Amino acid sequence: MPDQPKVAVLGAGNWGTTVANLIAINGFPVWLWARSAELCREINEDHTNSRYLAGLPLSPLVRATHDLEQAVREVDMMFIIIPSQGFRPVCADLGPLVKPQQMAVHGTKGLELDSHKRMSELILEETCMRQHGVLSGPNIAREICEGKPAGTVLASRFPRVIQRATELLRSKQMRVYGNVDVVGVELAGTLKNIIAIAAGMATEMQLGENAKSLLITRGLSEIARLGVALGADPMTFSGVAGIGDLMVTCASPLSRNNRVGAALARGDTLDQAIAALGMVAEGVKAAKIAHQLTNTLGLRSPLIHGVYKVVHEQLDPRLALRELMSGAAQDDIDPSLFQAQSQSPSSFGPRGRA
Amino acid sequence: MLDAEHIAQIVAEVTSRIVARVGEGHALTETLNETLWWEHERLVRLDHDERAADDREFYADIRRQLPRVSEREQVRILQQVVHRYAEEIAGDLGHQPTGVGVPGRRRGPGFSPTAYKLATRVGPPLLSTLLTGLSPRRLLDREAIPKLEEHLRIAGEVHALARLHERGTLVLAPTHSSNLDSLVLGFAIDKLGLPPLTYGAALNLFGNPLIGRFMSNLGGYTVDRRKLDPLYKQTLKEYATVSLEFGQDNLYFPGGHRSRSGAIERRLKKGLLGCSLAAFRNNLVHGRPKPAVYVVPCTISYPLVLEASTLIDDWLAEAGKARYIIVDDEFSRWERWRDYLRGLLSLDLDIHIRFGQPLDSLGNPVDDEGVSLDPRGRPIDPAGYLEVEGKLVEDPIRDAEYTRELERRILAEYRRENVIHSTHVLAFACFELLRRRRPELDLYRLLGSIGNEQSLALPEVEDELAQVLTELREWAKADRIRLSDTVADAEIGEFVRAALRNFGTYHHRPVVERRGIRLHVGDAKLLFYYRNRLDGYGLRGAPTLVHERGQQGAGHA
Repeated sequence: MPDQPKVAVLGAGNWGTTVANLIAINGFPVWLWARSAELCREINEDHTNSRYLAGLPLSPLVRATHDLEQAVREVDMMFIIIPSQGFRPVCADLGPLVKPQQMAVHGTKGLELDSHKRMSELILEETCMRQHGVLSGPNIAREICEGKPAGTVLASRFPRVIQRATELLRSKQMRVYGNVDVVGVELAGTLKNIIAIAAGMATEMQLGENAKSLLITRGLSEIARLGVALGADPMTFSGVAGIGDLMVTCASPLSRNNRVGAALARGDTLDQAIAALGMVAEGVKAAKIAHQLTNTLGLRSPLIHGVYKVVHEQLDPRLALRELMSGAAQDDIDPSLFQAQSQSPSSFGPRGRA
Repeated sequence: MLDAEHIAQIVAEVTSRIVARVGEGHALTETLNETLWWEHERLVRLDHDERAADDREFYADIRRQLPRVSEREQVRILQQVVHRYAEEIAGDLGHQPTGVGVPGRRRGPGFSPTAYKLATRVGPPLLSTLLTGLSPRRLLDREAIPKLEEHLRIAGEVHALARLHERGTLVLAPTHSSNLDSLVLGFAIDKLGLPPLTYGAALNLFGNPLIGRFMSNLGGYTVDRRKLDPLYKQTLKEYATVSLEFGQDNLYFPGGHRSRSGAIERRLKKGLLGCSLAAFRNNLVHGRPKPAVYVVPCTISYPLVLEASTLIDDWLAEAGKARYIIVDDEFSRWERWRDYLRGLLSLDLDIHIRFGQPLDSLGNPVDDEGVSLDPRGRPIDPAGYLEVEGKLVEDPIRDAEYTRELERRILAEYRRENVIHSTHVLAFACFELLRRRRPELDLYRLLGSIGNEQSLALPEVEDELAQVLTELREWAKADRIRLSDTVADAEIGEFVRAALRNFGTYHHRPVVERRGIRLHVGDAKLLFYYRNRLDGYGLRGAPTLVHERGQQGAGHA
């Protein structure tokens, strides 16, 4: 077949479908793997994904399949966009199907519970694919599907991964920025979801724009400090995948984590908030993991801990806010970030895999 | 095994590759000027000897010619420089008249094929030969003439080595704590029935009065760490690569030098490590029949280290860099050898050599037949990692990334195959007790505070030891670390006696000694040195004191 897809997207949630559609609009046929045969039929016949992207037409070059082997057999690159807690099983299924030649980019913002491992570590542990990268940035799926302009970050230590992924994704609508700090981009994308929950609460409680701005910047400082302790480059947090992504999740009412925060502030329980969303809010799990990590590493993280207590220990958001405002104020710019920056002269230096 | 003719071929191949890589025009002029500058820097610091004088003359000549010559002439000069580097790396073995070399250059004792063959044959039982030969009987007691091989314990993934040697080319990558390592490995290789290995040894070892002669006869090539010229380093790497492509099994210490702190390596020299992948790739490009290069991590664990005092002094002085090459240490003083070997042999102490999981040149584990495996043990073809759309593609950044992974896997093997002796455990327990007593002190002050007047109550040490041993024994069961017999089995009282006996044998002052019911630390720095073999494991919740960056300096707790 002349137009046999050379690329696959695994996971047909709203972001996976959007990525597949972006690639298809650029003229590349693409496999979209979904577990549900019914959803595959809908995508192939009606060119829509009504559950996740209701009312938006998909390119006919998006070809859905529920056969994982078919999806990856002939492709040179696959995008793995699966919720973090279902990520390892899919990688394990991929293990016997993939080859060393193939490249894997994931677009999942989360860490594995218990092990606290990043998604790229799971790819490396379960498959032979070593040429890997991560896609992350301020990307609200619906806006992108509506054709609005956006930018994203593709981080990999393999130039060809960046080059190939950029070729597939770049368009008049989409700018793709390269980065070599895989650890930083993965962590920034994951940890910002926690701050987004706090922002959702702040919006719902009508604390005003001053408060939200304070929350975003102090939140960034906290997640950067944790990221650096785990091997990230501090500069990544000031880029598109850092502050860029944080701003969009905190500002947009479409953001899932933002919505969870708002629901909690209205007095909903966590279960109600998640049920109302109908999708996975990665920030809920990320708060739990970040809470454990900051405790283990002995990092002061009042915001992360506040969110954790509200989400997982049913603390009243108003009480959490009061605690935050009465805590001792630290330096504006955390000294550990200066230090980390001066210690990372080369972007190819040793880091990560803590 | 390579003969002189092969080595001359390697030198020629290395030279032509480097010359082609440098290219012409601006890069060529720049490379030559850089060489002149670096070599000038080196030579002004060097004492006068024959080799240095020869080098000075050689470069003075180039400096005179360079401003006036054509580009073609520049290429010829570059060729001369690289060839000269490559010949020196090859050692006396590489000295063959080829027409490219500089006429009238004087060398040390010339190559003798007979001597070489002899040396490679006698190479393996080297140490006994060496020690019998070098230790005048009047100085070394008869009973101490060592049967060192009886004190070597070889274990680990040894069964597959011979098979892997048939299937491809081996790179043995050991930990490095003593200059005895090369000799000890020589024995091990012989015991395992493998042919001798080519290895890169520092130039200063060739000048060592005790073993220099043997080094140059062993098929080793020289590494002159004083030469900082990037062109020299390129030549060195290319030499290692080409020799691997010629099927010559190699040995090199990827840590680059002996561990100054006593800790297991935390970081490896990626330049030399990357030669395995480069050779594999070149073999594939040329369609050679046995392209695989197998990297075999290996640990050598001593209960006592010959050069411990000099090494830890160097590390603590943060002088590692300045004194990168320690010329005058215990290794060049034969009476220290005598004391060391006497101690080792009289106490029945064993040196453990463990071979870890063999890896392919990308860091994937391989099975006994040399087939690369993915993380879940499924066979894979490693050539695929270098292919794009079915074609082999050169990509240095990609390959550097693969080499980083190789490094990571070697380091993981080092950690796992590290054999812990009673000396390490006793030092660790005593150091921990002292450290916990004074948590406010940084490392230097802590070490300064540990004097002979201070002591630890024996029951306190025994309590700590019991806990350390319990944790270590659990780890050993889980394959996370290896233990010597005493550490694995002995009950506390017996263990303490054995450890104290060992510490009392070789070093000038016993590192730890017992007076009544108290233990006194005789040498705080050595206590720290031996403790460091267990650094970085988080044993008993201890902090990591030797940091990656602190290769030449102390990290602060």
